Amino acid sequence: MKISADYDRCEGHGLCAEQAPAIFELDDNAELVHHFEGADIPPEQLAAARAAVTSCPVAALRETP
Amino acid sequence: MARHPELPVYRPDIYSPQAILDPYPHYASLRELGPVVWLPRHKIYALPRYAECKAVLLDDRTFVSGDGVALNAIANRLSRGTTLNSDGEDHARRRALVAHRLTPRALRAMKDVVDRQAAEIVDAAVARRTVDGVEVAAALPAAVVPDLVGWPAEGRENLLRWGAATFDILGPLNGQAVQAIPAGLGMARFAHTVAKRRKVLPGSMGDDLLRAADAGELAHAECPALMIDYLAPSLDTTLSAIASALHLFATHPGQWQLLKDDPGLIPNAVNEIVRFESPLRAFSRKVARDTEVAGTALPAGSRVLVLYASANRDAHAWDNPDTFDIRRDAARQLGFGYGTHGCAGQGLARLETQAMLRALVARVDRIEPAGPPEWAQNNIIHRLGRLPIELIPA
Repeated sequence: MKISADYDRCEGHGLCAEQAPAIFELDDNAELVHHFEGADIPPEQLAAARAAVTSCPVAALRETP
Repeated sequence: MARHPELPVYRPDIYSPQAILDPYPHYASLRELGPVVWLPRHKIYALPRYAECKAVLLDDRTFVSGDGVALNAIANRLSRGTTLNSDGEDHARRRALVAHRLTPRALRAMKDVVDRQAAEIVDAAVARRTVDGVEVAAALPAAVVPDLVGWPAEGRENLLRWGAATFDILGPLNGQAVQAIPAGLGMARFAHTVAKRRKVLPGSMGDDLLRAADAGELAHAECPALMIDYLAPSLDTTLSAIASALHLFATHPGQWQLLKDDPGLIPNAVNEIVRFESPLRAFSRKVARDTEVAGTALPAGSRVLVLYASANRDAHAWDNPDTFDIRRDAARQLGFGYGTHGCAGQGLARLETQAMLRALVARVDRIEPAGPPEWAQNNIIHRLGRLPIELIPA
């Protein structure tokens, strides 16, 4: 499973970074940094990754195969 | 209107004065009946469960906002031109204009000032000791929002009443909504005057909007509706969350102790407060094409009622949904809506509510009830009207 991020939609609410800090963080300018852009999410991070997707308030994150 | 023969029907009025004060038993009955429930009184398909609410909010091409999100045709016509009532590119353009200064990114510079204002408000409240929690809850939004939006000093005393009325009208056209019409029109008239005479404070978001119109990015005629977009939802809603926080921590001392012991729980506590006492009950969407929700066929032109406050208490989505627990993961709650139309001001609402909780945790040992709370009557906003509490200093 991968997660795609829509950077135009992202407003920097940061809930994904609270849910899955190993995958997402906000940089010093509160811009989203996606550590697994285009890459498979490691199995031990799957639950956190899904929680990040469901918690994004503006639906900027999507699961992709 | 043709309906599925097995479609459950719920006849009680979920917008009666009694149901407005205590909506949760109605929501529980609706969830029990099924994922899609016909409300004959309001001629709308209610969606009381979490999964369907979220799916509908995500599918904004099928479930559109452009014909209004209210429960009556008059309000849907009056609110044309707002971000709330638009779809697709129109919506994206308006939202970008309204929201670019409301994103957490843009708000970071305000954090210290808001923290300082929250500290002053809580210091003053603790000095009085026995207070109306609703007045305490109103103070921070009133200190922050009108300046940010750029509303002139005159007319500020009306903002809370006008904002509440602007929401009230978005319910069904009951006595409650009809009574709110004059105050709702008051807000609309004032917004027109403010935009036309350029009475906004320099450097404010309203000022930005007028400059964008000068630069041709939008029509000047669009400005009043967008000003209302800023103002109407920015006071009563955050007031609701802060007042509910005071009420919930007064009645759940164990939860207050958890927060005192670990203020790192504050961001999630705000999510849980908004889940448990969602400031917005529900908005509607129009069905743009024949479709299906949870096996129920919905014809084009019909309306669905997205019950955020019920979705947030759905046992299919939450363990012990009627238990207030700031340790649960409440980040996916739908109190701010979700997706394209997700609350544009939620970053500001979180900033203000978290600032109040930080100030309270540092200064207050216990919050104790000092009389029965009263809930306010409003078709859309769920909030306390009066909350006698005693703040025991730390």
